[in-house]
Amino acid sequence: MGYNNRTQSTGFRPLIVLCIVSVLLLTFYIREGESGPIHTVRAGVSTVTSPVRMLGSIVATPFDGLGNIFSNLTASQETLDELRSQNQELTAQVAELSEAKETATRLEGLLDLRSTYNLQSTAARIIGMSSDAWSRTVTIDKGSLDGLALNMPVTNSAGVIGQIIEVAPNTATVRLATDESSGISAMVQSTRAQGMLQGQPDGTLRLEYVSTDSDVKEGDIIVTSGIGGVYPKGLPLGTVTTVERDSNSVYYTIVVRSAVTTENNEEVLVITSLTDEQTASDEDVAAANDTPQGGARDDGSAETGSDAGNDGTTDEE
Amino acid sequence: MELHESSRSQTSLLAITIVALLLQVGLAPQISIFGGCVNFMMILAAVYAFSGNASRAVIAGFLCGLFYDLTASVPVGLMTLLLTIGNFILSNSSAAAIGASPANTYRLVAVYCLVVSMLYGLILFIMGSQTDIITSLFGHGLATAVLSAIVAIPFFLVAGVSDSSRRGFSVKGKGSRYKGIR
Repeated sequence: MGYNNRTQSTGFRPLIVLCIVSVLLLTFYIREGESGPIHTVRAGVSTVTSPVRMLGSIVATPFDGLGNIFSNLTASQETLDELRSQNQELTAQVAELSEAKETATRLEGLLDLRSTYNLQSTAARIIGMSSDAWSRTVTIDKGSLDGLALNMPVTNSAGVIGQIIEVAPNTATVRLATDESSGISAMVQSTRAQGMLQGQPDGTLRLEYVSTDSDVKEGDIIVTSGIGGVYPKGLPLGTVTTVERDSNSVYYTIVVRSAVTTENNEEVLVITSLTDEQTASDEDVAAANDTPQGGARDDGSAETGSDAGNDGTTDEE
Repeated sequence: MELHESSRSQTSLLAITIVALLLQVGLAPQISIFGGCVNFMMILAAVYAFSGNASRAVIAGFLCGLFYDLTASVPVGLMTLLLTIGNFILSNSSAAAIGASPANTYRLVAVYCLVVSMLYGLILFIMGSQTDIITSLFGHGLATAVLSAIVAIPFFLVAGVSDSSRRGFSVKGKGSRYKGIR
């Protein structure tokens, strides 16, 4: 009994054992890459917990639009309880109908996007954001059973959202383009200047490695270049908000405003496969290598943001 | 009477554990304020650290951290390690804080949240998962610590830890574990 008390009071032995196990877990996780036993276990946990995640998403969605209403409740008079109740009910209905309308609009946008780019894709819905503060991810309600796999790109009607980094049987985790681990081959739509769109710690986007010989202006539209074979070329990524050129620097500092926002319950498209014409051809890659700074500005496409998707797949001449 | 009290505290602990697990999976991904997210597993681990059993606290810290790692897009094993070590220290700190006031208990929990979150952000930066140490520490780490420390208050109220930081869920009123230490 005395031994037990002593063992319980220190906790030193379990500490040593569990610290070793933790370090081993961390080591194996880092070394196993994108798939392995630990990723499999995580996929299993994701599958088991997905109903709770979906429930949380459903519960949290109305609060996005009704936050102000709830904050005003404390200032009301007792005699208005009934009216207030009716008001809440009606407001909830309005919010619900508005949400349904927005959902219909988004679905129409997705269908437009799908037909415009002739995408082989699967529709999914966002059921949760990242549960930690250090990464920017979303969870969608489709997984490997629906044909999803690692590294598949995810878009919505406005443009690229990100890329699948983990797949469970019925859910998948998507790393957003704004995550600082994210990098997407991109180009300025009007001049075809090549660069790499990278997420930043503060959640913004920057177009890196664009030569100062290039012609880049505020308002230019950034699209995927298709180089790398992950993303179809020509998908909208964002709009240039600032362009800075430091002295003695060979690259611009270009801040890009993302074209998309990710919200709970929003519909997305997972691009399951690319056709040959959607990936960058050898000529495209050669042209990008030969003239990374791009060419002359096409004023028409630069000034009309809505055309981003329509001419994005046009090869550079 | 003691048996009844012990049973009640065990029930409370079980209820808190279930609620925390559900909130971590269902609610934590929905709430992000000033770059921080509530870490319900860190709160649960802290609750166990005050349960009066250091071995159980260490194991609970390990399991809480593992659950956090497996349900988030983070390196598996890192939060596990931090909460294991953190619970060992906190449980022994709480053992030292016999008769501490509720304010002191909460202060200890707040420091625990702060240290774990800041260390987590620092290690992520060292591992290369984060590229900006300022954002990692003061943007995400500090915000997570503050949010978690605030949300921990109702958990500790329900657990009844604040009534006597020394007497936990499985420990009888007169403090049998204190005698064991002595």
